[in-house]
Amino acid sequence: MSLLIWRYSHFLLALISSLFLLIASITGGILAFEPIAVSIQPYNLTSLEEVSLNQTVLSLNKNYKETIKIEVTEDDFVIASVITDDGQAKKIYIDPITGGNIGLVKKQKRFFSFITNLHRSLFLKTIGRIFVGLVSLLLCFIGVTGIFLLAKRQGGFSKWFKRVKDGNFNQKYHVVLGRWLVLPIIIVAVTGVFLSIEKLSLLPKNYLNYSWNDKQSELVNNKSLTSFFETISLEEVRSLTFPFSKSKEDFFELSLKDRVLIIDQFSGRVIKESHYPFMKLAARWNLILHTGRGSILWSIILFIASSSMLFFMYSGFSMGLKRILKSKKTNKVLGENECEYIILVGSETGNTYTFAKHFYNSLVKAGKNAFISSLSDYTQYEKAKNIIVFTATYGDGEAPSNARLFERKLETSIPVNEMNFSVVGFGSLMYPNYCQFAIDVDKILNNNPKFKSIMPLYKINEESKSAFEFWIKKWSKVTAINLNLEITKPIKKKLKTNYFKVINRKQLNIDNTFLLELQSEKNFNFKSGDLLNILPKENNYTRQYSIGKIGEDLLLSIKKHDQGFCSSYLSELNIGDSLNATFESNSNFHFPKKAHSVILISNGTGIAPFLGMINENNTQIPLYLFWGGRTKESLKIYEKYINRAISKNNLSHFYKALSKENKKQYVQDVLIENKDQVCDTIKNNGVIMICGSLSMQHDVLDVLEEISSKNLNQSLSEFENNGQLLLDCY
Amino acid sequence: MQNRLKTSIVIVLISFLMFSYSKILDTTNVKCMIQMTDYDGFGAYIIISLINPEGDYESTLFVQGKDKEWYNELSKWWRFYGKIRNNIDAITGETVSGGERTVSLIKIPNDKIDKGYSVRFESSVEDQKYYIEDIQFDLTSENINNKIEGSGFIHYIRMISN
Repeated sequence: MSLLIWRYSHFLLALISSLFLLIASITGGILAFEPIAVSIQPYNLTSLEEVSLNQTVLSLNKNYKETIKIEVTEDDFVIASVITDDGQAKKIYIDPITGGNIGLVKKQKRFFSFITNLHRSLFLKTIGRIFVGLVSLLLCFIGVTGIFLLAKRQGGFSKWFKRVKDGNFNQKYHVVLGRWLVLPIIIVAVTGVFLSIEKLSLLPKNYLNYSWNDKQSELVNNKSLTSFFETISLEEVRSLTFPFSKSKEDFFELSLKDRVLIIDQFSGRVIKESHYPFMKLAARWNLILHTGRGSILWSIILFIASSSMLFFMYSGFSMGLKRILKSKKTNKVLGENECEYIILVGSETGNTYTFAKHFYNSLVKAGKNAFISSLSDYTQYEKAKNIIVFTATYGDGEAPSNARLFERKLETSIPVNEMNFSVVGFGSLMYPNYCQFAIDVDKILNNNPKFKSIMPLYKINEESKSAFEFWIKKWSKVTAINLNLEITKPIKKKLKTNYFKVINRKQLNIDNTFLLELQSEKNFNFKSGDLLNILPKENNYTRQYSIGKIGEDLLLSIKKHDQGFCSSYLSELNIGDSLNATFESNSNFHFPKKAHSVILISNGTGIAPFLGMINENNTQIPLYLFWGGRTKESLKIYEKYINRAISKNNLSHFYKALSKENKKQYVQDVLIENKDQVCDTIKNNGVIMICGSLSMQHDVLDVLEEISSKNLNQSLSEFENNGQLLLDCY
Repeated sequence: MQNRLKTSIVIVLISFLMFSYSKILDTTNVKCMIQMTDYDGFGAYIIISLINPEGDYESTLFVQGKDKEWYNELSKWWRFYGKIRNNIDAITGETVSGGERTVSLIKIPNDKIDKGYSVRFESSVEDQKYYIEDIQFDLTSENINNKIEGSGFIHYIRMISN
C-alpha cells in the first residue's frame, strides 16, 4: 500500500513542478559557477589569521582620507569602502596588511544577474518568488518520497548502498545517482524554501538594537581602541563599520562570527555586546548552503546536483511512461469469464508483463482462449481451468504494486472448476529473498484445495530469455500444447563484424559435439568468457558461443543439433574456411585478476570458456574445474587442454561427473562431495563461475544455496552481491 | 602670425582645462548616513534626487538598489529617469533593509547650494508603500550638515559635508 502512495506522489509531484524545476535546475547549474568565478580571483593574499584588525585599520587610515566599512567575505577577501584623498567613494579589495588597493569590486556580471533573476523569480517579481518557493517545497517532497521509494526498492535503509543491478539504463542510474544525490538535492530544496520564506518576510525578524543605556557599559574592557583591535584577528571579523563622525554618539560597529560589538571610538570600550539571533545565523548558513559561496567544492556538488536533476526528470518520466504503456492490457478478445487459460501478472517495472505477453500471444496463436490480467484483478473466472502466474518480487520479498490484492481476492472468489496452476518467478539472485513473492504465491495456491500444481515453481534470474524459453518448453510438454515462441532478439547493436579463419575442427564425438578453433584475421582484444555471435546468412537469429582463449586463438565448443541451422553450418566448416561473426564483450564473466581461489562449474559445451581460463591462469590462483557430461568418451575432446593445464600447474584439480557411467553422477553431486572446497572458496572471497545449461545452473544453485546456508550460515545472495558468483548459462 | 595662432591655442587649452578643473572642484562631497525604521519585508529602494526651484527633477544624486527591474516602482522618479536613463552605476548602492543603516557619498554641485534647490529622498519597498517624499529638505549649507527625520521607511538621515 505505502509503496503506491510513495510512487504516485513522487511521480505526480514531479509532473506538476516539472517545467519550473527544469528552469530552476538549469539556471541553478549555471549559477553554481558564480561562487567559483568569485573564489578563484587572486585577492586572497595572506592568511587572515595572522593579521590583526588593528593593522588593517591603521594602514587604511594611512592610505585613504576616510574609511566607511571593512568587510571580510566567505572567500577571505577583504573589501573596504573608502573615500580617497581626491574625494571619490570606492569599494575595493585591499591587501589587509598594507591597505593597498588590489582591485575594484565589480558589480555582479550582467549574465549572472539575469540568470539569478530567472532562477529566483522567473522575472515575475513577487508572484514568481512564491511560485519558485512552492516548487522548491515540491522538490523537498519529491526528495523525501524518493528516499522512501529507494529504501523500499533496496530492501531497507541498511541496504541503501547495495549494488544495483537492473537491465534498464534509466532505471539503474535513477537509483545509482539518486542514492548519492538525494541528500544535496534535498538540501538545495529546503534551503530554497527557506530563502523564499525569508524573502517573503514570513519569518520573525530580529533587529539589532543601536540604542543602549550607559549602565550596560559594565562589560567594559579597559584597553585603548588600538590595543583592543590588536587582540582581534581579521579571521574572526565579518565587518567593521567606522563611526560616522567624530561625535561622541558615533561608534565602531564590529561584527564578528557570532556577535556584534558596539565600541566607543575614543576609549575602545565595548559599550554593547549582542549575539546574533538564531534566525540570523540560520539564514546565513542557509544562504551559503544554497549558493555555495566561499566553497568551490560545495559549488561543484551543487552543480552536479542541479544538472543531475535533468537526468532524474528525463529518466523518471521515461520510466513512468513505460510503466503506464506496458501495463495497459492487451486486447481482450474474450472476456475473463469465457477463457480457459488465465495468465496473471505481478509486475513492478513492466518487464514481467513483456514476458507474460509473449506467452499470451503464443497461447492465442495455438488456438487457446486466454486472458491476461494483473494479479490484483483476480476474480472468479467462470470457465477457467488453467492459471499461469508470472510475477516479480518487489524489494525485500514484497508483492509488486499490481499484485498486492491477490491474496485477499483469492480468499473471496472461490473458483468454479478445479484449476491447474503453475508459477514463474522473475527475480534477481542479487536480492536475499530471491523470487520470494513467487514462492509465496505458489504456497498459497498449493494450500488451496481448488488448485492443483502441474509444475514446480520455476525461477528466472535477471530476466533471462533463454531460461524463459526453457520453462515454456517444459510447460508445453506437461500440457501437451505446442507453443511456438521465439524471443531471441535479433542483433540490436551494430557490432563490429570480424572475419575468422578456421584453423582446426575436431570431428563430432558421440554427443554430436565438436571443437572449433578460429583465428581472427584482425588483431583484437578478447578474453575467455566473451561471446561470439554467429549469424548464418539465411537465418535471422544469431547464435552465441562462449569463447575460450587459447593463445591468440578462439576455441568454441559446439553441439550440433539436428534442426540447428547454425550448428550444422559450423560443423561443415573445413580448415582454412573463413566465417563472419561479431564479437561481444562479456565483462561480467571474465576470470578474476586476483582471488583466493576459483571454482569453475560447467556441463557439456559450457566448458569452452573455462578451457581458455585454465590455460591462461599463469598467476596460478588455486583453480578447480568441475564438469558434467555423459560418458568418458564425451570428455575426450577436452582432455588435451585439461591435462596441459594440470601439467603446467595452472589447474589444481579436475572433477568430473559422468551421468551415463557406473556412478551415474551429475555435476551438483560431485559438488556436494567436495563441499569443503566450495566453503573454503566462498568464505575467503573466492569466485565461483558457472557456465552451461540452465537446468544445470538451477540444480547447482540449489546445491550452493544449501551448502552456504548449512555450512556458512549465510545466504548465497550475499556472495552474489559481492560479485563472487558469476553466471553464464543458456 | 604663427605665434599668435600658437598662443591662442594655448589660451583655449588652458581655459578649457581651467573650466573642467573648476567643474571637478565645483561639487561638495556630502557623507550621508541613512538609518531605516524597523519595518518588515524586502530591502528598500531609495532614490536621492536634486529638485530645482520649480519642483521638478534636476538630477539623480544616488540610488540605493541595483535591480533595474524594480526602478519603475518608484513611478514619479521613473517618469524623469526612465526617459534619459543615463549611466548611474557609479552612484548606485545596495538596498537597505529594515533596521539597517548605510553610508554613502553624495556629490552636490556647489552652484545649486543656497539657490532654492532641494534634495528629495523617496523610498519604496516591494509589495509595500512608495513614499515620494520620505524626506525633502532645502539644499542649504546648513542643512547638509544636519540630522533630518524621515516620514516613511527612513528613520532619519545624517549628513556631513567636506
